[in-house]
Amino acid sequence: MAYLQLAHLSKSFGGPAAVDDFDLAIEKAEFVSLLGPSGCGKTTTLRMVAGFEVPDQGRILLDGNDITEMPPNQRHLGMVFQAYALFPNMTVADNVGFGLKVAKRPKDQITKRVEEMLGLIKMPKLGDRYPYQLSGGQQQRVALARALAISPQVLLLDEPLSALDAKIRVELRVEIRRIQQELRITTLYVTHDQEEALSLSDRVVVMSAGHMEQVGSPSEIYNFPNTPFVASFVGTLNQLRCKVVDVGQGKLSYNDQVFETRAPVRGAQGDTVTVMLRPEQMHIGSLSDENQLTGKVEMVTFLGSIVRVRVGLGQATVVLDLLNKRSLELPRVGEPITVSFPPHACWVMAEA
Amino acid sequence: MKETRRASVWAWLWFILGMLYFFIPLVATFEFSLRMLKGRYTFEAYRVAFTDPRFLQSFGYSLLWATLTIIFSMLLVVPTAYWVHLRLPKVRPWVEFVTLMPFVVPAVVLIFGLIRLYGHPPLVLTSTPILLIVGYTVLSLPYMFRSVDSGLRAIDVRTLTEAAQSLGAGWPTILGQVIFPNLRVGILSGVFLTFAIVMGEFTFAALLSWPAFGPYIEEIGSMRAYTPQAVSVLSFAVTWLSIGLIQWVGRGSGAQTQVAGTR
Amino acid sequence: MGLEHPVRIDPYPAIAGDAPKARPPSSRKFSWAWIGVVPFFLFAILFLLLPAASIVVRSFEKLGGGVTLDNLRAVVTQRDFVNAYRVSLTISLITSLGGAVFGFLLAYAVCLGGLPRGLRSFLVTFSGVASNFAGVPLAFAFIATMGNAGLVTRIIEGLFNIDIHAHGFTIYNMYGLSIVYMYFQFPLMVLIMAPALDGLRREWREACENLGGTGFHYWRHVAFPILLPTLLGTMILLFGNAFGAYATAYAFSGSFINLVTIVIGAQIQGDVLYNPGLGNALALGMIIIMALCMVGYVAMQRRAARWVR
Repeated sequence: MAYLQLAHLSKSFGGPAAVDDFDLAIEKAEFVSLLGPSGCGKTTTLRMVAGFEVPDQGRILLDGNDITEMPPNQRHLGMVFQAYALFPNMTVADNVGFGLKVAKRPKDQITKRVEEMLGLIKMPKLGDRYPYQLSGGQQQRVALARALAISPQVLLLDEPLSALDAKIRVELRVEIRRIQQELRITTLYVTHDQEEALSLSDRVVVMSAGHMEQVGSPSEIYNFPNTPFVASFVGTLNQLRCKVVDVGQGKLSYNDQVFETRAPVRGAQGDTVTVMLRPEQMHIGSLSDENQLTGKVEMVTFLGSIVRVRVGLGQATVVLDLLNKRSLELPRVGEPITVSFPPHACWVMAEA
Repeated sequence: MKETRRASVWAWLWFILGMLYFFIPLVATFEFSLRMLKGRYTFEAYRVAFTDPRFLQSFGYSLLWATLTIIFSMLLVVPTAYWVHLRLPKVRPWVEFVTLMPFVVPAVVLIFGLIRLYGHPPLVLTSTPILLIVGYTVLSLPYMFRSVDSGLRAIDVRTLTEAAQSLGAGWPTILGQVIFPNLRVGILSGVFLTFAIVMGEFTFAALLSWPAFGPYIEEIGSMRAYTPQAVSVLSFAVTWLSIGLIQWVGRGSGAQTQVAGTR
Repeated sequence: MGLEHPVRIDPYPAIAGDAPKARPPSSRKFSWAWIGVVPFFLFAILFLLLPAASIVVRSFEKLGGGVTLDNLRAVVTQRDFVNAYRVSLTISLITSLGGAVFGFLLAYAVCLGGLPRGLRSFLVTFSGVASNFAGVPLAFAFIATMGNAGLVTRIIEGLFNIDIHAHGFTIYNMYGLSIVYMYFQFPLMVLIMAPALDGLRREWREACENLGGTGFHYWRHVAFPILLPTLLGTMILLFGNAFGAYATAYAFSGSFINLVTIVIGAQIQGDVLYNPGLGNALALGMIIIMALCMVGYVAMQRRAARWVR
């Protein structure tokens, strides 16, 4: 029995469904991310778990109890909002201790717990500050402490890092993961940033237009996407329209350049299919047992640790990512170039 | 994703009570104004009111002084608001202090001081309507300033000015083609509000002895019945019209300039 | 449509200038910019500050010349004046409290009470109109409502067979006037509170619920504390608004109702006090009270703005 079971949840706001048949079993201490573009239903799903939206269909079970009808203030879940939502009229300490005050805990217990929490988020001396005196990153950490102070059964986070600067975002996301693992608390995290989702989660749920596209570990989602949407939403992706030359041997051709794939070919001989290939799987030059494609260099972009080369192959272009090396000689625009990749790096996508 | 909250009984109760308190006097006034001739409802009171020559005379005077006030007030406020926004942000606290002063020095008190200073030789301004216009300007100053100020804030004057300058525009072009057209809403709101204020103003006109519309209403009120109520209904209609115009003018901008509100 | 202290003030004003200067000051441009604001300040000095200053100074004037504190002493001791202040302050207190409470409830009803959205804009528009509908026409409107031949009087008589005027009710006293003043007091409250209530972020309520709190907890610990500065500030504003009112009271009963503003008005129209210094002292008293109100109001505004950024 999963710790948090979201069983066939559906919700619509008078129109197309915002969430359609969302079904997921989350284990205790697991970190699950809901990843998708705006409007895909991830926040609505989270809010249903929190109790701020009532599902039209489906049930939510927490540790065996059906909490679908329970009002939000009885669910004992901790929520962190995108806009921090700290109470502006209270100090940091009062904010963090609020849940305990409402639960009528004795004062010394509250003080102790607040101290503990402030230590956990590494802000032990800032208890007397007011939210308006804190930076965005600090406020969000206080919001996290406030949610955790009540020792919730599940931690819910609604795009907590979207409102922060890039550098703070990276720092804070490491903190969140560290705290989550230290406390071993079941966590549901909503984001549209795939880097966040991939780096933080035990499992990722990719959503689009209210549906679950795919559920899996970060590397599964990245390397073995099930649908074109997942493949293109997560990471950069090359897509080539190729002709099937030989189904059994996995031979495909683009513009008369033949190459092989290890993955099963969905289609018959002569069909045109879409082949997917990640940029980092390719490299310049040729190795004997690898596929090769020749083309012309169109653009070279230096991104720091990565050098991105755009290669024109007739009408299509592919993008290949090279790891930066100090001794690297960048390809020149207009030069002919051969790129190669192992057969297992490409696959034929099932047509949506 | 808005939650629809069920309307509570209390909410409806307070709303209805509020509406009753607002509307009953209006209904009563209107009803009263129709009862000039015994036994039936007629518009006789309105006819009497309109045919009184002093009605049109005092209304005309108030209209004239309203116009003068609006012009003077705009000439005073608009450049000030613009400079404060663009060049002299340090001066803003002082300007805002000035706009709060009309509250601290209410009409009767201000007149007291004005007459003492400017009503005796060598400076006898009381024989001209100057003090009246001054009084009206003081009354409308806070609104005018706030209207124009909100308007300037809403259009981010500094950035627009810089953009225009980077494209080669000189000051006349900037003021005429970039700033003022965008300030239309703020200025018009201030104008209509000043108009409403002046048309109904009583204190300044009465104490400075000018035959404006306000004192006229009061006079007929002490002498007659029914016609004062008719004029009250008209006055309410004019106020409603002015506020309505303000709302209509500001409909696209979303910024409420004539009412107090969060920035 | 007279105006009793038309006041439109942001509950959340900008405290300091919006943006840094567009360019570093060069002397030529600097002096040009100052000219732009000189007329404004000149006007303020000539027609606001100087009259106020003259009042302050002359309240220390003796009848034959010379400085005295007698005027001030008379204002706070002589029965007529003390009464005038008492009545003015009482009406101001009643209408500011009443206007605040009722106005708040009304604003709450349309903003958070779940009523149809259109009612809110209707109420706000109507409040804008009602708060400007003060002064002489308002007085006549209420005479037509609750006066001897007023509509409500007649309705009550018709329905319950009670002549309220025979029972001692009159609109021409302090309490009757308070009822009239409410007409422009609580719209002002609505106009200021509605945006303030809208400023209560939904997440605060949700966070509170998430942490186990009920509606009661939310209002007690979060919403009311946040709203309190605005509430208090507006009450102070209403107080000052009523205190400085003249036209409505005058239209009711001429000079017969004993308010500070009426007394000062009478003094202006003819030297009824036979001592100009007294008039100035009365006016000075008003200025002091209004200034205190303004200080209180601004302090509350700063408080409110600080928390809600």
